[in-house]
Amino acid sequence: MNERTRKEPLLLLLPAALLLLLGFVTPVSAMLLMSVQSPAGGFTLDNFQRLFDSGYNLQAAWRSLRLGIVQTVVTILIALPLSYLMSRASSKLRSFLLIVVILPLMTSVVVRTFGWVVLMGPNGLMMKVPGAELLVKGTQGFLGTEAGVSIAMIQVLLPFAVLSILGVVSGIKPQLEEAARTLGAGYWRSLWHVVLPLTLPGIVAGASLVFVLSVSSFITPRFIGGAQIPVFAQTIYVDATTNLDWPFAAAQAVMLFAGVMLVLIATARLGRTKG
Amino acid sequence: MVKSIPLLAKIGAVLLVIAVAVYMLMPLVVVAGASIGSNRFLTFPPQGFSLEWYTEALTTDTYLAPFRLSLMVGVITAVCSAVLGTAAALALTRFNIPGSGAIQAFLMSPLTLPTIILAIGALSVASMTIGAPNVWVLIVIHTVITIPYVMRTVTGVMARRDPFIEEAARTLGASAWNRYRLVVLPVARPGIAAGAFFAFNISFDDAVIALFLRTPQLETLPIAIYGQLEYSTSPTVAAVSTMMVLLTVVLILILEKLIGLGRMFVS
Amino acid sequence: MSTLTIEHVTKSFKTTQVLKGVDLEVDSGEFISLLGPSGCGKTTLLRCIAGLEAVTSGRVLIGERDVTHLPPEKRHLGMMFQSYALFPHMSVRENVRFGLRMEGKQSKKEQLEIATNALERVQMAHLADRMPTQLSGGQQQRVALARAIANTPSLLLLDEPLSNLDARLREDMQIELKELHRSLGVTTVFVTHDQEEALSLSDRIVLMNAGVIEQVGSPDEIYSTPKTAFAADFIGAANLLPAQKRGSSAITSEGGFDIRIDASEADGDGQVMLRQEDILIAARIEEGTPYPVEVLTRVYRGADVVYVVDFAGKHLRVIAPGHAEQLSMGPAAIGWRPLAAQWIPGAVPTT
Repeated sequence: MNERTRKEPLLLLLPAALLLLLGFVTPVSAMLLMSVQSPAGGFTLDNFQRLFDSGYNLQAAWRSLRLGIVQTVVTILIALPLSYLMSRASSKLRSFLLIVVILPLMTSVVVRTFGWVVLMGPNGLMMKVPGAELLVKGTQGFLGTEAGVSIAMIQVLLPFAVLSILGVVSGIKPQLEEAARTLGAGYWRSLWHVVLPLTLPGIVAGASLVFVLSVSSFITPRFIGGAQIPVFAQTIYVDATTNLDWPFAAAQAVMLFAGVMLVLIATARLGRTKG
Repeated sequence: MVKSIPLLAKIGAVLLVIAVAVYMLMPLVVVAGASIGSNRFLTFPPQGFSLEWYTEALTTDTYLAPFRLSLMVGVITAVCSAVLGTAAALALTRFNIPGSGAIQAFLMSPLTLPTIILAIGALSVASMTIGAPNVWVLIVIHTVITIPYVMRTVTGVMARRDPFIEEAARTLGASAWNRYRLVVLPVARPGIAAGAFFAFNISFDDAVIALFLRTPQLETLPIAIYGQLEYSTSPTVAAVSTMMVLLTVVLILILEKLIGLGRMFVS
Repeated sequence: MSTLTIEHVTKSFKTTQVLKGVDLEVDSGEFISLLGPSGCGKTTLLRCIAGLEAVTSGRVLIGERDVTHLPPEKRHLGMMFQSYALFPHMSVRENVRFGLRMEGKQSKKEQLEIATNALERVQMAHLADRMPTQLSGGQQQRVALARAIANTPSLLLLDEPLSNLDARLREDMQIELKELHRSLGVTTVFVTHDQEEALSLSDRIVLMNAGVIEQVGSPDEIYSTPKTAFAADFIGAANLLPAQKRGSSAITSEGGFDIRIDASEADGDGQVMLRQEDILIAARIEEGTPYPVEVLTRVYRGADVVYVVDFAGKHLRVIAPGHAEQLSMGPAAIGWRPLAAQWIPGAVPTT
């Protein structure tokens, strides 16, 4: 409108933008740069070459990918009925479930992991669940197993999936289901043909978020899985802080970054074509 | 509501609720339970009853110093990201800015980028420029990752306002300063407060960035717990963890009161 | 002396010109309506008067003062918004006091007193301590009105203030608004898209279309002698018949009927306007020169009956009293008193 109103939004945006430049753009670009910088300062792809030559780190990357896919699928399978239930439940039950979902989400990862460590030890409560031995092929407990890692991870991934899907499924009018029922669809068929297709955007968004979080987590896998079954983010952490091999850690982080971006871009594409 | 839900679906729903509640809360219940047993070795279900681990947690410097550091970092982070995030959200919701979509995406991007990538970058930049990370590096990174949450809560509140209240204030003679002081900020206040509390929670609980940036002088409470977990799991860690969970419960209640959990988390 | 002068105001948003040169003078104490379809520029014009939009060119004067470049907070006017725009975090009383507080001329006690008086004028004093969210739409509307008049503005601007009320309440509020205007005597500019509202409230109506003023006049003038086809059609949904004027007769393009009109305008192409309530309809009409029609549809509305009839291939709407003889589908006759048919010059728009 006038001089002042053109400057005002700029002044409001500037502080946050500058801080992001300092605390986000700079570190992320430094990391990108570091991954392709030779000790002499030139350009090199040696760090990436090392990753592909290293059986250990590469194996960790594959494990992360595999666990990421498994955890994403299981998380979505639990989140779907749960979010639908929450969206159609009484406000009391809905609030209760919202708190049940949000409390672990807002609890520190170290505290949550601690709880799982206690539960999953050889004498922990988890081993008393019928069928537990089958899942971990023995009696040493869930610690050190991929099943244990996934069980502990899904607890914190579930809230993200539920919140993504709940936002969408809450917007689906119950009248649509009623219409389907009057048109001769049974309960399950109305869910399958009406609710599920409309929930798809939430599922896609939730799945991509869950996958990204899963492959970049390392604290829970470290304490539940331990050193025997390292995940990718864990080898990055060890290379960066224990081995102090920053360029190598950076190269791995770039690979992780690239994988994550791929998933995010694919999701965005999918979202766009779906309208 | 759709009536005539098959029995199978009803039974399934009840089982699902129970299973999910147990699954989600069990680890927290276990930690709380383990913290009140009298046995020095961590057990669950607890044997006996004792609050001595709480006394120990609150008196030893192992946890007190990290607690003070976490509290300070959390409060400063909350204030900084409340100020910066609110300013940005007010700009984006109240003005038609060319390219506002891109600006918003940029400011929200720390939300989608895995924290570990930012953490490793922050560590290397801090080491190369100032030698080692210090508390201000931690605060800057925490502020960066919490600004999106403040923006989200403030944007949410502003989106629900009557967009004409500022113009009404103008026609009634309010200057720019008075419009911010008497109209815009009071209207945005629940969003600002909710965002600030959420930012505090994230900063106070963060272990990923704090782990990368940790130095002997820079050990936050989650890192102190992390360190203990590496060696032993004593009931004292359980006591500290339980207090952290209780703090989270308090924060959730505050958020529920301020703008409601549904509005806060379900977009 | 005019309180509000608008001199050739134009307003463009990017490439679209919303106001294409508007001139208007509003007299002191006058109640004037800006009427037109959505997108005609009436709200933009009001916002330009308020200073909420900067004019692209032209001048706005309030009294003798050129306010073209003054921000809204310095124009000293009262404005009521369509959404009411009550401050949700302030009580009703604080909302109404806000303008006085900004002005800061009186003590807080006096301000509260004035605010209470303003609330009394709209019968809302008993709810002064409520928060806006605790009020019904009609109550919020009254509070918004009290807030707009509390610091005795030189100009009261109302942006479709009644459009969010249900029909019954809207009628009550029209009467109250008119009484309030009479007792305050404040110059009022009222934006509406509802022609009935404009007709019943205004001293003068400014009919706008596509960024220009089509016609300015008293409600009676606007209704009975529309100058353009748009004015005729927008106000009172007229029947328009394309025709050619020769002296005092208009020959309709379809059917070639000869309709008697006032001869004062120049000959040429144009349209004959017939108000639906001016047309008489019956199975047979003995006097004058009735025209044969075919009744197509009948809609009974209690007080009256609406007929859609075919008049030489053109559909006309006719309103007959509810107690009159009910016609069935099929042949009938229509007629009207001499000179009820108005001549509107200008080529027929192709829409």
